[in-house]
Amino acid sequence: MKWVTWENIGVDRMACAWLIRRWIDPEAEFLFIPMGEKSIPEDAEPFDIPGVRYSHHGGHSTFHVFLKEHKLNVPILTRIAQMVDEADEIQEVTVEPAALGLDLICRGLRRISKDDFEAIERGQLIYEALYAELSRDEV
Amino acid sequence: MSIWLLLHYKLPSKPSALRVYIWRKLKRVGAILLHEAVWVLPDNPRTAEQVQWLAAEIQEMGGNAYYWRANTILGQHEQSMVQQFNEQVDAVYSDLLKKLEKPRADLQEISKHYQQAASQDFFHSKLGMLVREKLTSKRGEKL
Repeated sequence: MKWVTWENIGVDRMACAWLIRRWIDPEAEFLFIPMGEKSIPEDAEPFDIPGVRYSHHGGHSTFHVFLKEHKLNVPILTRIAQMVDEADEIQEVTVEPAALGLDLICRGLRRISKDDFEAIERGQLIYEALYAELSRDEV
Repeated sequence: MSIWLLLHYKLPSKPSALRVYIWRKLKRVGAILLHEAVWVLPDNPRTAEQVQWLAAEIQEMGGNAYYWRANTILGQHEQSMVQQFNEQVDAVYSDLLKKLEKPRADLQEISKHYQQAASQDFFHSKLGMLVREKLTSKRGEKL
C-alpha cells in the first residue's frame, strides 16, 4: 500500500513510517508531497497531515493515533507514543525525558539525509533501536 | 532579522475549559500574548511544528485558527519582542540564581526548572548561561 505525507519528515513521521512497516503494512511504500499541498494522490493513504484520519487528534501525535486506530496495545509502543507526543506536541505533563533527545536526533537525521526517502530508511534504525532497548526493561 | 510566528484563533464560547486548555499550552511553550490579541513565538522548526498542530487542534475543537510567519517592519519592534521573551525567562532564571545561593540548595529541583526555562529561552539569555554554569559547577559538591 502507498502512504503519503508532507516533505521534511521529523520525529513523528519517522516513528509512523517505522510503525507502518513493522506492524501494519510490511510492503508499505512512502510518498512525499510539499508541505501544505492539498491534493493527495488517490491511491495513497495520507498520514500526519492536518485534518486526515491518521493525524494529530486531541493533542496526541499521529503515532499515538495509529496505535489507537489499529488497536495496537503493546506497552512498549505506548511508551514510544508518549515520547513522540512529548516531542511533537505541547504537553502539560511530561514523563519521558528522552523525548527531547529523540526530537533532536530525528531532526538532525533529516538534515544529514539527502532526501525524505533516505531519512525514512535511516529512521527505521532509530526506532528499531529504541524499541529493542525499551524491550529489555520489560519483565 | 528575526522571523516570528503569529497565531490568532477563535474558539466556541463553551465549554470554557477549551480556552484555558489552549491558553495553558501556549504559555507552556513560552508564547507571548500581545495586546490580548495575537500570540507570538520566534520561528524555528520546533515552534513551527507546535503551532501547526495547535492550530489543527483548535480547528478540531470547532474553532478557527490562523497562523503566520512574519517579520516586524520596525527594528525597534523586533528589539521589544526579543526583550519581552528575554524578560520572561530571566524572571525564572533570577529566581533560580537566588535559590542556588542558599545553603543546601535542591539542585535536582533547580535543574528541573532550569530545563523548563531553557526550553523557552529563544534568544540565549546571559542569565541562563550563568544558571547553567552555577548548576554544573555545584554538581558533586559536598554539602
